[in-house]
Amino acid sequence: MTTVLMPSPDPVVFERRDRGIASSPEAEPASELAFAVKDLSMWYGSKRAIDKVTLDIPSKAVTAIIGPSGCGKSTFLRALNRMHELVPRTRIEGTVLLRGENLYANTIDSAVVRRRIGMVFQKSNPFPTMSIGENVIIGLRLNGVRDRRLLNEQLEKSLRMAALWDEVKDDLYKPGTSLSGGQQQRLCIARALAVEPEVILMDEPCSALDPIATAKIEELIHDLKKQYTIVIVTHNMQQAGRVSDYTAFFYMGRLIEFGLTTKIFTNPSQRQTEDYITGRFG
Amino acid sequence: MTQPKHILGTFDQALATLRNDVLMMAGLAERSLDRALKGLLQRDDNLCATAIADDEEIDQLEKQIDKDGVDILLRYQPVASDLRRVISAMKLSPNIERVGDQATSIARRARKLNGHPVLPEVEWIFPIQKHAMAMFKDSIDAFVREDVDLARAVVGRDNELDDMNRTANRKLTELMAQNPDQLRGYLNLIFVSRCLERVGDHATNISEDAVYAAAAEDIRHQTFAASS
Repeated sequence: MTTVLMPSPDPVVFERRDRGIASSPEAEPASELAFAVKDLSMWYGSKRAIDKVTLDIPSKAVTAIIGPSGCGKSTFLRALNRMHELVPRTRIEGTVLLRGENLYANTIDSAVVRRRIGMVFQKSNPFPTMSIGENVIIGLRLNGVRDRRLLNEQLEKSLRMAALWDEVKDDLYKPGTSLSGGQQQRLCIARALAVEPEVILMDEPCSALDPIATAKIEELIHDLKKQYTIVIVTHNMQQAGRVSDYTAFFYMGRLIEFGLTTKIFTNPSQRQTEDYITGRFG
Repeated sequence: MTQPKHILGTFDQALATLRNDVLMMAGLAERSLDRALKGLLQRDDNLCATAIADDEEIDQLEKQIDKDGVDILLRYQPVASDLRRVISAMKLSPNIERVGDQATSIARRARKLNGHPVLPEVEWIFPIQKHAMAMFKDSIDAFVREDVDLARAVVGRDNELDDMNRTANRKLTELMAQNPDQLRGYLNLIFVSRCLERVGDHATNISEDAVYAAAAEDIRHQTFAASS
């Protein structure tokens, strides 16, 4: 049975909870809350990848997750839309609420969760056998949308939002893989946007792109946050500083510090955060 | 607490070079100020000439610190305490350069005073000089040692220096009316006192930057902010 998730009628107000991690007073925005993650732990087999993470992610803002390789940031991102369930022998404890609704409740279908929470990966992955246009609307087709007019409208709208329309509008029947790396990544963003998600998760979306393509994606992130909640994992500290409103620092599966990006990058509260962002780790 | 080494040894080296240039520049400015005042109090024109000559090296170091700072920003994009250290070094070096300029001005006034019979009122400059130089030295110490308490204390000492300058001005102006023959001499002493008062202002600015570098706190213009 498929359960359709409905947004909570009453917006959840972002408020600080006693989460045992550093969070400066300046890190408490009075904005609506998208995710409320509480005591989240995750294991790959017997290896614990995330250790009791409690984190509130504000709505319609960009939250960057930073930390050294293996600290659990990508795992945490995948736990937000249950993508980790595709990996065998994973186990999870704790709660993830999206607008007050438990994404791990027995009644919730993981496919619906992933429709509400889109994802963009490190390497662009357009479907190789599909055209540019088909790549964008495949999600809608899989959800049963057949109305050609609606599909065309959504195609153009998604490509415009992904700042790709002007570049591909005359080549919609060409293969998605014929585009450049940066264009392919924006095509994947358009594909994620086409099903009208509430949240977009990005796992190092620019790590394989040149500076010009990176700049386009970063501008896109800036525009998209007016309508979407964005959570981005990045190894690029400058990028985190440029694109995000909030930053969370993870280390060895634990959340060390969360706060306003300006605060984290000028005066972090925790020594571990300071050592990591200034390049003095280990 | 000792800071762990950066993953790039060249970055630690670049920061150390910047810090050393600030220290060297401050040391030169302090020496120049000391020579200018000794030139006045001991009526020694040679010391005055040396103080004036020192200014060129101080000016060059100001340019060097800007270059070091821009290089670090460009190459390493520092953040957090590293960013604050670089920004503060670049902001405080013009203040040190201005202290060097005040030393030059004092030395020029001293040479003029030394060309005439001694004025006993020169002694009035001594406590002002002591106060201003202590403020400058402590402001640099506060920056180098990242001592927030010392930096705040320096800021608090500026009012006293202002009062000392005002008192000297008032007394010298009164003397000018009583003894017009010494008008030029008194006028030169007023200028020297004012230069020292400016040294206090620069020490205050340096201390404010020291607080920012150490604690990420902007303590500038707090009186105005509190009253508005």
